[in-house]
Amino acid sequence: MADAKRSKRFEILEKRPVHLDGFIGEWIEVGLYAMGSPQDPKPSIKIEGDKIVEMDGKSRGEFTMIEQFVADYAINVKNAREAMAKSETEIARMLVDINVSREECIKVFTALTPSKIARVMEEMNVVEMMMAMQKMRCRQTPANQAHVTSAKDHPVMLAADAAEATFRGFKEIETTVGVVRYAPFNALALLVGGQVGRRGTLSQDALEEAFELQVGMRGLTSYAETVSVYGTERVFVDGDDTPWSKAFLASAYASRGLKMRFTSGTGSEVQMGAAEGKSMLYLETLCVMVTKGAGVQGLQNGSISCIGVPAAVPSGLRAVTAENLITMCLDLEVASGNDQTFSHSDQRRTARTMPQFLPGTDWIFSGYSSTPNYDNMFAGSNWDISDVDDYLALQRDFKVDGGLRPVKEEDVVAVRNKAARAMQAVFAELGFPPITDEEVEACTYANGSKDIGDRNIPEDLKAAERLMKDAVTGVDVAKALAKRGFRDVAESIILMMRQRVAGDYLQTSAWVGSDGTVYSAVNDPNTYMGPGTGYKMSEERWEEIKAIPWAIRAEDV
Amino acid sequence: MAQTNEEFVASVVRQVLKEISVEAPASAAAKSASGITAADYPLGMKRRDVLKSPRGIPFDELTLENVESGKVAFEDFSISPDVLSMQGDIASSAGRTQIALNFNRAREMTKIPDERILEIYNSLRPHRSTKEEMLGIADELQNKFGAAVCAEFVREAADVYQRRKLLKGDLPTD
Amino acid sequence: MKINPELLEKIVREVLAGMETEIETGGKSEPSLSNSSPSNPPLPASETVAGVQMTEKGPAARGTDPKEIVLAVSPAFATAFKTTIVDIPHSSVLRQVFAGAEEEGIHIRVIRVYHTADVAFMAHHAARISGSGIGIGILSRGTSVIHQRDLNPLSNLELFPQSPVIDLPTFRAIGKNAAKYAKGESPTPVPTNNDPMARPRYQGLAALLHNKEAGFQDRSKASQELSVSFE
Repeated sequence: MADAKRSKRFEILEKRPVHLDGFIGEWIEVGLYAMGSPQDPKPSIKIEGDKIVEMDGKSRGEFTMIEQFVADYAINVKNAREAMAKSETEIARMLVDINVSREECIKVFTALTPSKIARVMEEMNVVEMMMAMQKMRCRQTPANQAHVTSAKDHPVMLAADAAEATFRGFKEIETTVGVVRYAPFNALALLVGGQVGRRGTLSQDALEEAFELQVGMRGLTSYAETVSVYGTERVFVDGDDTPWSKAFLASAYASRGLKMRFTSGTGSEVQMGAAEGKSMLYLETLCVMVTKGAGVQGLQNGSISCIGVPAAVPSGLRAVTAENLITMCLDLEVASGNDQTFSHSDQRRTARTMPQFLPGTDWIFSGYSSTPNYDNMFAGSNWDISDVDDYLALQRDFKVDGGLRPVKEEDVVAVRNKAARAMQAVFAELGFPPITDEEVEACTYANGSKDIGDRNIPEDLKAAERLMKDAVTGVDVAKALAKRGFRDVAESIILMMRQRVAGDYLQTSAWVGSDGTVYSAVNDPNTYMGPGTGYKMSEERWEEIKAIPWAIRAEDV
Repeated sequence: MAQTNEEFVASVVRQVLKEISVEAPASAAAKSASGITAADYPLGMKRRDVLKSPRGIPFDELTLENVESGKVAFEDFSISPDVLSMQGDIASSAGRTQIALNFNRAREMTKIPDERILEIYNSLRPHRSTKEEMLGIADELQNKFGAAVCAEFVREAADVYQRRKLLKGDLPTD
Repeated sequence: MKINPELLEKIVREVLAGMETEIETGGKSEPSLSNSSPSNPPLPASETVAGVQMTEKGPAARGTDPKEIVLAVSPAFATAFKTTIVDIPHSSVLRQVFAGAEEEGIHIRVIRVYHTADVAFMAHHAARISGSGIGIGILSRGTSVIHQRDLNPLSNLELFPQSPVIDLPTFRAIGKNAAKYAKGESPTPVPTNNDPMARPRYQGLAALLHNKEAGFQDRSKASQELSVSFE
């Protein structure tokens, strides 16, 4: 082979970034198959009284725990016979027909079996899916979420990055850790920094379920997202939960006035070696329905951390688009992925995001990396902070509201500095290892953790443990900030604590405005029914999107 | 400080009275009709008059100043069973019945302490509990916390876990 | 992209073998719930791979020695697979983990776990039967976890989720830190290598490998104690 004469063109093509990506062939037997596997069950339903006694070819006595939960909680039995009688093509056409309302579509989808829903998606190409998303997403105004993480779990850097992210327009921010025991400090950094960047920011700490609930109960986070569900019983159990334990957990969050959504995604079952030969999209449909049945308002999907798996097989990114759409069709908030690296190719990276970016979703990214990807402790996002000006250009090119706004360097420096100083104040007031002025300065101007020094990690970890043991709450943090002169930040934290009392953000697809007003699918429902309807960008917002600082203005030449 | 104590006692009395009225059998069915619908949403803007902390502090008094003076504590920033009922009614009126059911379970759970909720959640994870232990939890939910909906939910889970071999003792390493 | 050609060849051969078996049995699958996994050839109870001899000694028992940590490996570790996803020989992996622990005066007991191929559960199981309460789990492709008995299974002391970036010094550091936890110390966690481009390159392959690995699971088989000797 080495001696064979090579085509220069092929030699060049082989060096292109796309050749660094892992592509693999389909393997039906284990479920390495995106959608429409010959091993997926055929749709069927039998109802006795108000109970489903057969679903997708299986009788009730043989149901897995997932199937039983879905049959009993996620399917509207009253409408099921009529809905199941429609052909898959007919239902798919309803989705793209501007004369059929969102409500009519929801009525049908909430009465279908998992296999039927997956098969409707097989009828659609991606452009049709995007048309359907424009109508079916539940909140009219799209929004965006950021990852805020640090390879050093540096609390000051995290606070500064959180402030910059929310200042740029991200309405939700999410963190996770390199070292688990740093988690309480990460939550604290996002709480403080997030409110400095924009009052009303929702923040979360993606960790083990019980811990996430605990920091939420203390008011150190305001929502949770990484509450995972899976499509096969084996993988669900390996995830250390059942639909009942997860639904109980969901109610626990609501009982403490905390917003939450579940997480799932195509490829997780086969990645964990137990897809039982079913296609990725069929199994994901079960996950969406478990979420629906648990009474959870929304779901993060779009393959998420398993994106390398569907992206490696044929029609994989189409399946990923379909899973977002299914979530919308079941009237759930969708945080639509785009949050993990999956390709070396800039073309593939951009293309993967267009099906969510162009029609708009509730949360276009469920983690745009607001840091350089080397600091992204979710193992890298599809877009990172280095791509942010490209993103702003795309919003402007297509007149699309992707949730971000252009910013000035001096403004970003100012919010970063304020967040770092606020963190310094909280640490001092609560008796945690001191944050020096040098650290504040370094984190104000840094791009990533490579630009800053190391903290005394064992000391930080001891203090983080104490934060949990002493049950430090959001109220304690607000008091500390007020005492040290950060009264406005303290007010913001109290504003977030008050959300727990009102519970408005427990409704579907909620975010919090800077005056405390909650916007959700209840008061901002999607009304799209063709051109001239639905989300309309305001003049003010369009002026903001247009104004990228590096564009040449006629009057300056 | 004296004033705070007085308020605290008053709120405890109010809470106890409320619980007594909840336990009256006739009120259970009528409870869901809060009269609140999607038109009242968001409550935090449109219906502050109906929002109160669990011990009865009005929404507008949950301020930084009152936190600093000690009049309001962390525990006051909690959702009350009544507000969960109202949010459930809003979800129902927008056609989201499962969310309303979730809030119904949540409403019951407001009475369960944090620690116990975390323990029960862990007990519901696969291979953690025997069927008897799960039924015991259901009884506790029902009798100790008046959480009838949650109790039924746990009993249902116990049956499913038994059928699908997800109880403690169903693994080779147990 | 570099893939170990031997490994690929082995996978392909085993996939084909599995398909042949199906054809021979008329395409009928086993009646168990896990019938979707392709059938795998039986594993030898004792095998020498390039420098390490591992022999099963019977069911793994709960230890009482506070100076031991338990290392759980998967059924395919150093049997069906010989190297991690980036071609590090399993014998070298073991050698480094052992050496790291020995530096701290702690010894390692190795078990093979059959009932799960989930590294968190493997490590947690190891921790539960470990005299010190500290366990390590390592999958064939290299994914590793340090665990402690009283944590929740999906929590951990230290997690190394990205198999392609785990090198030999990291394996040694994992052994050393696990030993320090066993002695009641709070070591600085092993620095996590983070390569955001590992997923695009390796995740599809990792899924392929894990499905092979999971094929050796036996939900009803108890963990086995292994005697390990280096040559």
